[in-house]
Amino acid sequence: MRRTGEQPVALARAALAAAMGLLLSSCGGTLLPIPLTGLNRQLEQAGGHHDPALGDGWLGVIQQRGGRQQVVLIDLKQQLPVPLPGLNRPDALPISISVDARGERLLLLRQLEGRAEVVLYRRSLMSLQPIVMGPGSIPTAVQLRADGRQLAVQVSRNGQWQIDLIDLP
Amino acid sequence: MARARTRLIACCAALVGALALGSCAGFGNRQAAPASGLGPSQQRREPALSGNSRLLASIVDDSGRSSVLLQEQPSGRVIPLRHLRGHRPHSSPALSWNGRYLALLLQQGGQSVAVIEDRLSGQLHRLPAPGGAKLERLSLAPDGQTLALQVLQGGQQRVQLFDLSGVLEPDRPGGQRSSNPTAP
Repeated sequence: MRRTGEQPVALARAALAAAMGLLLSSCGGTLLPIPLTGLNRQLEQAGGHHDPALGDGWLGVIQQRGGRQQVVLIDLKQQLPVPLPGLNRPDALPISISVDARGERLLLLRQLEGRAEVVLYRRSLMSLQPIVMGPGSIPTAVQLRADGRQLAVQVSRNGQWQIDLIDLP
Repeated sequence: MARARTRLIACCAALVGALALGSCAGFGNRQAAPASGLGPSQQRREPALSGNSRLLASIVDDSGRSSVLLQEQPSGRVIPLRHLRGHRPHSSPALSWNGRYLALLLQQGGQSVAVIEDRLSGQLHRLPAPGGAKLERLSLAPDGQTLALQVLQGGQQRVQLFDLSGVLEPDRPGGQRSSNPTAP
């Protein structure tokens, strides 16, 4: 048998539980994800970022720092950027990026010498391969399939936005 | 003699050309995305492929408002989405590996909200903008365990990462997926 002093506490707990239940049901599927605080702070301290592209355990992102924009690939487990030799050029402006699930292939749309070009970067080979668009097609956004074997390109063709799919070896 | 030299030069030029094409555009099949079925002048943008290549999500202009279109590949069959019609415009779609999760940005009550539709369970998960920031773009990891949001805050674009491992089941290659892709 409970002591008299415990009854208000038990009642308050029950009321709180009911209120929480009501609150959750009214939210109806609101996600309560956990912010990756350490990484978020690291990103904030490194300057502005845009065009995030996630692999499984990888984040590709365009970093704005000191008036310059460059592509950065971060190993989310190590919480460290990995080197991308040969990818960033001081005379090129990155516009859109995408990364495969393994963080091995990066697809980059960039502005170079007044033209938009799409390039495929293979990290293990440190190789950069241009991908030629069809005639009259100006690429405006890119997405690489998670297995890195197909890319989808948003192109402007005859004044219309279209999507082209290109298989990769 | 001169003819032989000309032939040699032509062969060399053809070889160099082939090598150049091979190094630049040595890629396989190239095709337009499956027709949207919404008219020949339909504009499409912001493509997102599922890792298993079965699904393509894109944004189309439907009656003046941007809507997500989910299609099977290569048939182009449109897959209905249960929850999303009432909250347009849509932007920035992303698909998990088997297409179980479709994440995108939508407008709700005048605010941009990130949502993830679980096509297996039929649930729609909402993620309000952190700190009242304006959401501009999102990316969902192929396994559905991490979400990246590009936000505009104080005039600067920032990227914030969220761990979804406690709230969404992983969607990995060869893993669990909807037995009926038309089911939400």
